[in-house]
Order: sequence, then structure tokens, then C-alpha cells
Amino acid sequence: MLDAIRFEASTLPTPEAIAALIDRVIAFLDQHGVDARAAHHTALVLSEVLTNLATHGDCCDRPANIAIAAEPDKVTGEVIDSGPPFDPRLAPEPSFDVGIAERPIGGLGLFLVRKLCSSLEYARRNGENCMIFAISREGNRGDKKSH
Amino acid sequence: MIDCKDKDGTDIRDERIGDTFVVTAKGRLDGGASAAFAEKIGTLITNENPKLLIDFAGVDFVTSAGLRAVLVLVKKVKAAGGSFALCSVQEQVREVLDITGFTDMLRIHAARAEALSAMRG
Repeated sequence: MLDAIRFEASTLPTPEAIAALIDRVIAFLDQHGVDARAAHHTALVLSEVLTNLATHGDCCDRPANIAIAAEPDKVTGEVIDSGPPFDPRLAPEPSFDVGIAERPIGGLGLFLVRKLCSSLEYARRNGENCMIFAISREGNRGDKKSH
Repeated sequence: MIDCKDKDGTDIRDERIGDTFVVTAKGRLDGGASAAFAEKIGTLITNENPKLLIDFAGVDFVTSAGLRAVLVLVKKVKAAGGSFALCSVQEQVREVLDITGFTDMLRIHAARAEALSAMRG
């Protein structure tokens, strides 16, 4: 991410702050010519990860540090928070094998994150969670299928 | 009649076309707006066998909280013996619905006229 065009921010994971961050991230990616799909998915991944911090990470009063980079073939992102250790890659998969009436309301956020990202890495460093993700830009997408 | 704009920018308007409630939503359906979205539209579901169509043409961002709101409404409509559909879903939002299995679970129509025709039948 060092040579790419980079956006950095620090934000509390509250709905209002997340919405404001999403506005800035989409504007940044649009300004640098990133296609609408990659910009949307980057914003959605950030929104889900930050929301999860607030609802499950007990981090409402602790800001997370965000970095986004527009690279030629992808958008990369980094989210660092000081919450309890949590690897988003290990969250349980929601069940799709039940009818609409039985389907649980919830569990889709981190599933979406895993599906939208072309790569997703996690490390615990210096008492912080560090998540690094990538979203392929138009023309660089593989045949990533849904569930 | 619902005609409001949430603080996070989700604009919701409803009208009745024949026996179908048609809700036009505009903006983001995210963590800040979804609960109010489900609650406001849920107030329309008061009769038996309700027909509810939500036009997503103006919705450009749906998070898992937004999906939960849609699921709450679907369950409420189904519990009342009614029918639920979405129409005019934007490409990016459609991909989210595909990934999460909502496409298989819901009736999703390309356009409002097509949806109304199908719901009449």
C-alpha cells in the first residue's frame, strides 16, 4: 500500500461516525477513478467491520484507525482496533438451508465481508487487531461465486 | 401514509396502488437507518394477506442491518398471509442480495410495473 494513493482516518464505531466515514471513503475512491462496484464493496466491508466492533467488540468509545489505498488492480484496506482479540475470518457461517420463517435475523455482516473481499488477513499486534483486506477493481475480478 | 426522511438519509414514501402497498426507499439502508425503516414500513402491515412492494431504485447501499430490516418485514408479511417483493434493485445491492441468499428467498422484479402485474395475479 506504500506507493498507492492513500486515505487515512480515525473513527469511533458509532452509526453516525460510520456513515460519515463511508461518505469520505466513497468520495475518495470516486475521485481516484475507482469503479462503482469496488467503491461500494470497500465501503460495505468497512461499515460491517466497524459495526461489528461496536456490537461485539465493546469498542464504542475507542476509535479505530482506517487506511484505504487505491491500487491499479485493487483497493486495499486496513482496520486497526484495540478491542479484544477477534479474527473475522473465523466467525461462524450463517445457515442458508432453512426457510424464510426460520431464517435467523443476523450473522450476515462478517459473512458479507468474507465474500466481498478478494483477500482477507488478520493479525494481533501490540495488543491490537489488525485486519487487512482487498477488493478487486473492475477488470481484475476472478470468478468468485456466492455461497 | 409514510413520508419521511431519517437522520441518516433514508427517504421512505408509500402509496397504495390497487391492493398493494408500494414503498419507495431512497438512500442508504445501514446501521443508522434500518431499524426505523423496518418499524415505519411495518406499520403498513395491519390487514390480512397484505401485499408489500418495496422499490429499491434509489437505494444504493444495504448493509447486514438493512438485510435484517428486510427480513423482519418479510417475516411479518408472511405471518399475515401476504406477499412481499422488491423491484428495481441496483447492481451493487443486487450482488449483496445474491451473496446472502436473499435472491433465492425473495421475489425480486426488474421494474415496478412488472412487480405490480405479478402481485395482482
